[in-house]
Amino acid sequence: MRRIESQIDTNAADYKANYAAMSERLKEFHARQHAARFERPQRDIDRLARQNKLGVRERLKLLLDPGTPFLEFSTLAACREYDGVVPGAAVVTGIGIVQGREVAIHANDASVKGGAWYPHTVKKVVRLLDVALENRLPVVHICDSAGGFLPLQHGVFPDRYLGGRVFRNQVKLSQANIPQIAVVGGHCTAGGAYVPTLSDYNIIIEGTGAIFLGGPPLVKAATGEEVGVQELGGAVMHTSVSGTGDYRAATEQHAFSLAREIVGQWKRTPKTIIETAAYEEPYYDPEELYGIIPKDRKTQFDMREVLARIVDGSRFHEYQPDYGTTMVCGFAHIWGYKVGILANNGVLFNDSSLKAAHFMQLCNQNRTPLVFFQNITGYMVGREYEERGIAKDGAKMLMAQGGSVVPKFTVIANASYGAGNYGMCGRAWDARTLFMWPQAEIGVMGADQAANTMADVKIRQLQREGKELTEEEIAAIREPVLEKYKRDVEAYTSTSELWDDGILDPADTRNALGMSISASLNAPIDDPHYGIFRL
Amino acid sequence: MQRIFQIDGEETECWLGHDGSRFVLNTPNGTVACQLDPTGLPGGYTLRAKGVVRELRLAVGPEATFVHMNGRTYEVGRVDPAERLAGSDGGTGDDRLVAPMPGVVVSVAVKPGDTVEEGQPLLVIESMKLETTLTAPRDGVVAEMPFAEGDSFGLKDILAQLAPEEE
Amino acid sequence: MTISKLLVANRGEIAARVLRTAKARGLATAVLSHVAEQEGPAHLIADEIVMIEGPTPVAAYLDIPQIVEAAKKIGADAVHPGYGFLSENAAFVAALEEAGVTFVGPTSETIDLMGDKVRARAFVEEHGFPVAPSAIEDDDPASFVERARTVGYPLLIKPSAGGGGKGMRIVREDSTLETEIETARREGVRYFGDGRLFVECYIERPRHIEVQVMGDGQGNVVHFWERECSIQRRFQKIIEETPSPALTPEQRDEICETAAGIARAVKYRGAGTVEFIYAQDGAFYFLEMNTRLQVEHPVTELVTGFDLVAEQLRVAAGEGLSAAQADIPQTGHSIELRICAEDATADFRPAIGDILLLDEPMGEGIRVDSGILDGGKVTTDFDPMLSKLIVHGPDRAQAIARARNAVQNYVILGVTTNTGYLDEILAHPDFASGDVSTGFLAEQSETLTAPGEDVSDLLMAAAALSDERLVSDVMQIPEMHRKMGEWRN
Repeated sequence: MRRIESQIDTNAADYKANYAAMSERLKEFHARQHAARFERPQRDIDRLARQNKLGVRERLKLLLDPGTPFLEFSTLAACREYDGVVPGAAVVTGIGIVQGREVAIHANDASVKGGAWYPHTVKKVVRLLDVALENRLPVVHICDSAGGFLPLQHGVFPDRYLGGRVFRNQVKLSQANIPQIAVVGGHCTAGGAYVPTLSDYNIIIEGTGAIFLGGPPLVKAATGEEVGVQELGGAVMHTSVSGTGDYRAATEQHAFSLAREIVGQWKRTPKTIIETAAYEEPYYDPEELYGIIPKDRKTQFDMREVLARIVDGSRFHEYQPDYGTTMVCGFAHIWGYKVGILANNGVLFNDSSLKAAHFMQLCNQNRTPLVFFQNITGYMVGREYEERGIAKDGAKMLMAQGGSVVPKFTVIANASYGAGNYGMCGRAWDARTLFMWPQAEIGVMGADQAANTMADVKIRQLQREGKELTEEEIAAIREPVLEKYKRDVEAYTSTSELWDDGILDPADTRNALGMSISASLNAPIDDPHYGIFRL
Repeated sequence: MQRIFQIDGEETECWLGHDGSRFVLNTPNGTVACQLDPTGLPGGYTLRAKGVVRELRLAVGPEATFVHMNGRTYEVGRVDPAERLAGSDGGTGDDRLVAPMPGVVVSVAVKPGDTVEEGQPLLVIESMKLETTLTAPRDGVVAEMPFAEGDSFGLKDILAQLAPEEE
Repeated sequence: MTISKLLVANRGEIAARVLRTAKARGLATAVLSHVAEQEGPAHLIADEIVMIEGPTPVAAYLDIPQIVEAAKKIGADAVHPGYGFLSENAAFVAALEEAGVTFVGPTSETIDLMGDKVRARAFVEEHGFPVAPSAIEDDDPASFVERARTVGYPLLIKPSAGGGGKGMRIVREDSTLETEIETARREGVRYFGDGRLFVECYIERPRHIEVQVMGDGQGNVVHFWERECSIQRRFQKIIEETPSPALTPEQRDEICETAAGIARAVKYRGAGTVEFIYAQDGAFYFLEMNTRLQVEHPVTELVTGFDLVAEQLRVAAGEGLSAAQADIPQTGHSIELRICAEDATADFRPAIGDILLLDEPMGEGIRVDSGILDGGKVTTDFDPMLSKLIVHGPDRAQAIARARNAVQNYVILGVTTNTGYLDEILAHPDFASGDVSTGFLAEQSETLTAPGEDVSDLLMAAAALSDERLVSDVMQIPEMHRKMGEWRN
């Protein structure tokens, strides 16, 4: 497989300007991530210490194998909600390694609002359990939660994919023969009590862990009974009287040592086999991505240059290189795994849509996972293209993509607008993991376009009422819409709302994909079968 | 992956990793890339680490590894930190013995005011034609022995109560 | 009377060593063993193993009736007692005589005489041989304390029935004399069942020099030259050598002739060792006579070329001495190291463990008298000495170099031994110059037990990589994740 020959000049002015802009962005991004992960008000740190509890990061350190990576999802969830006081939505999720096994982690962060469940918390946990289900990953739950955040209970409780979905997913995991273990290092109250009880194994930390459907205050209010936390649902009671708890741990260290021992004896099912090659670092330095990604979202760039800094040995076997050139299709290896890559070099035309559809069929038949690099502003519009059946061709691409049985992974590398998002496996299309780059944008259309369209509607409405608007008045209508829209399409908004599994430093993309692909192979790959292609 | 090594009374907690091409021992003072290859002599190995190559003879016992190197003999105790923690279940003892099922007291070995040690027999009960000796869950002083020899008791009855532990 | 079947009433390295010579002389051989014994070299050499019982393993080896019965039962016509155990027990000798079994060693009278330190001392003094100024309690118990005072300070209080350095107390000040006497008496009762004492002038910085003698019981005695045994820890020898670096040829002749004279005076039969205390000014005094073969006899064998056990068997069989004094050379230099299962850094506390790997050094000028086998076990049932490493070289410096090389290459893994400590002693400049006394090890203890090169990283690496469970735990992590290391996004 030939190496991509890079045309990038790292001394060029625009390369340097891009590099500087991205570096600035990344500085801010890393600072925000760091804050969301580690910076807490002193009183919250003190409270945990008083309660004799370890913080969630220390617990993860005890749980995970030393010297192994941890792919954390949605660190910046809820970063634009709740005035920013619920970093990470008070929960840590991701994929890590415990006793050599890939596991999905769901860990309450009690240093944030006592680990309470906010609407975004629920969404993040449901997403993690969906990842576990789709990829057949065992789950480790670390429970330490004050329970549902009552003022926002309408966003936490009633709907299909809210609180109940967490427990429903746990049931489905169990039904699918995927093990779960819960370490109870805090309270599991009401619904939260179901996390350990629906897990195959659970460990309760003496003194801090407790499980009850109703806590002491609620019991007192309901029946007048006065009973303390330990007697009602503490470690000793549940492990010796009710049998709800499997193991009683004297300390946090003991609890996680036990958890590791339990995970260490779970059977390991053979992973799905796909084509692999000997692993190679990219020939070009991944940090060159900072100079390749344009500082202005509208500037065009060659996706091949991006791929050259991500795939093994920078080697890429391009499929139909001269046809449908706005869609780059080809085979490469990431961390040794053979993958089929689709990447946008412009809008989607008929030919690029057809090429993509055919390429995806090849990958499905060959059991080759698909990786999508999105930089798409839409399908081509206009009479010529409609006559050629661009809607049909877009539909064919969707049929192939949506009907794919191989694991799919998406990186929103720049723009992700409109139906192009769909064709290129956006969130709705079951990518096993989906990440955004920091400067990426996602929306139904670009901010300018949207602002213009919405302002236009308003202007015409006023014109119908007989008002003629000045430049300033038009601006006064357009500007706020534009500002809001710009913010709405930002990566930070997407990640805050959990429309993605996290923002990535572009140089981290390779490892994130490697871990995702590896995790996905814990599930089998079906034989290809599709719906009807409108031909 | 973790081990505590004991050399000359000092303990060092380390973890072993393998980065895809070689082993690396992670110690609190830094990392040591290392390689151990057999030489064909009984217990003979070549150790490559820290820029030196040492011929050594090595024997692995159940709790320690013995090394003969450069004319000196060493003993390295090995502890799996997990095993150390495993012994700590049953941390806070109970203050009382609760009847697991109804039965009869066969004999009582202690009286209120007696000082007892963890594991010391307190009384013998009979239930379902089986005699069981119940022992003190922790060191302490007997506060109450509510039942006497010959008495019947029910499920969950308190068969022995220890005085609360002083902090 | 010929000896055709020999029972060795001992164990460990000495049993193996005696059996080897007996076998070479064509004798049928048998050795005692206790159920607590690990299989050792002696069991592999002996034709027959005779099991003995006792409340403790050591008690079994001290059980005279049982052992005599065993000898009779297997038809042994001679018993070799080794050293320790019953080797200097007159009652044992008498019992064997009564059973018609030859005891390879001196008569019970000689053993009795030399076993009582007070009587032995008196005998030697009567016959004109040098003894250290002293006061014997028995002479007149009432004036004992006063007479003790006149010996002068520092003085040494010793139990009459004692030996091996036990129960001795040094007194430097008059104020403590009486309390020390009481303590020594109590210890005498405890260790030897006999509270009688005597007091000797304490020689500062003495050297311990002893002479190997052999007599035919008819008054003919030869000496096999001297041994220096000043390297002692807790009054027990751990390094012995011959010739002594302290003696001039004249002094050597004088000491050796004195020893032979003492042996002649008792018409000594068999192998014996006369021990002297040698003062810095060259004066020497009779200390005691050991009426048995000693642990350190091999160094004498290597410089003289004689097999002392063979000589013992000749004498026991009535064949007399095999050589005259003029035929006994002293060629080259020999050093013996006692390899013991003990922790030199923890006050020589005995060590136990399984012998996981044993690789004894071999080669020119190297002899190992071993009591252990690979795969054996070291327990506290018996003495901590596992084996002896004896080397011979053309001169002292080369012997030291050979000894260092051999002990550095002596591989015993699984139980702590003193091999490193012995090497440190050999390397010490004072040992090399021969400038030592019996206090040397105590004086230099910090230097000799100082921690060596810090190799803890290397040791941990070796221990980690040879820990199969650890390695397989690590390797079960998929390769990709291992390569990524502690990456976080």
